[in-house]
Amino acid sequence: MADDDDISRRYRELPREEPPHHLDDAILAAARRAVHTRPAPLVVPSGRQRWYFPLAAAAIIVLAVAVTMHVEREQPTGEVVSSATAPVAAAPSAREVPEEFRTEKPPAEKPKPAAQPERRRKVESADARQSRNELRDAAPPPELQKAPEPAPPPAAPAQDAVGGVAQSASGLRLERTEAPKPARAASSLSAFAQQSPEQWLQGIADLRKQRRHEEADKELAEFRKRYPEYKIPPAMRERVERR
Amino acid sequence: MLAYGAGDAGAFETLYARHRGGLFRFVLRAVKDRGAAEELFQEVWVRVIEARERYAPKARFITWLYTIAHNLLVDHWRKKGLSLVALDGDEVPSESANPARQAEAREALARLVQALESLPAAQREAFLLHEEGGLSVAQIAAATGVGEEAAKSRLRYAMTKLKAAVDDG
Repeated sequence: MADDDDISRRYRELPREEPPHHLDDAILAAARRAVHTRPAPLVVPSGRQRWYFPLAAAAIIVLAVAVTMHVEREQPTGEVVSSATAPVAAAPSAREVPEEFRTEKPPAEKPKPAAQPERRRKVESADARQSRNELRDAAPPPELQKAPEPAPPPAAPAQDAVGGVAQSASGLRLERTEAPKPARAASSLSAFAQQSPEQWLQGIADLRKQRRHEEADKELAEFRKRYPEYKIPPAMRERVERR
Repeated sequence: MLAYGAGDAGAFETLYARHRGGLFRFVLRAVKDRGAAEELFQEVWVRVIEARERYAPKARFITWLYTIAHNLLVDHWRKKGLSLVALDGDEVPSESANPARQAEAREALARLVQALESLPAAQREAFLLHEEGGLSVAQIAAATGVGEEAAKSRLRYAMTKLKAAVDDG
């Protein structure tokens, strides 16, 4: 045993070679790199980082709920616009304005019975009308937008039928936000019925002026059905009622 | 090592500082070539780094460390056409281990170094594991994959030869 110790002692007297420093650096760097690039630990982190994960999860949930609610709130409007845009854009005003008020038609022409537009209007569903109305609120038809002059005051009668259309059309554009919304229950509404009561009456008066009394009677009956409480001013009554 | 496996880079630095010198001298004196020794030394530590997460403390870390070194030495010798087993045993003494030739050395340390280099690889390895790594016979046996008796025999033969070389002067 003493011999072993002697050998060990002598051996330790030998030069103590050490690895070169560049080797040390390379190995230690590799060790640090391996630790830093290791995958995320499976154990729950401790200390201050403990609350990071619940906070991050809560933030994600709140964000998801907010986005969902926003999308749900935006979606109905987008659907109405998208479903109503195409037909209105394809047929801007022909469906809305009765044929007798078209500018191409000479005033002296024999009035056409309003049965066809009436029938067409009857088949339209109430929802379609509502969609169209909403869309018109958002984007008036080209004719209405292109109204060349500001509308004269309603008291001043139009010079002719075309002028009357222009007047009521521009009046529609200006008063749209003020006019009370008609009830949905009305079964068949004319183009006048979608306007304000005053404009409706003005349209009836125009029909009387053109001697289209049957249509005027129908419109007046429809008006009274729609606005039973509405008191027609005497001056207007003279113009809209058959004499 | 467990701390390093859990992500503590400082634990590795502690381990490395504790074992770098002994391991390097073990490898250097085993292969007797500095370039190869550096390469093997680095490879040992790379294996340690790679095995950090699957390390299981079945034995002392130093035993595990020198086991890696032993396996790499075996590969090294195999590549060079040498065999650890063929050099094992006292029955075939190395020619250079002849005490008569070593008697020419002037100093005991020089003779010790020469004797160490002249030892059969397995004996030298057992001696270096004992001296540089501080391994016991049982640990040497575990690190080199042999029985304790074989490890004890190798160490005994190595000691005897080295003492003979030193005493020759």
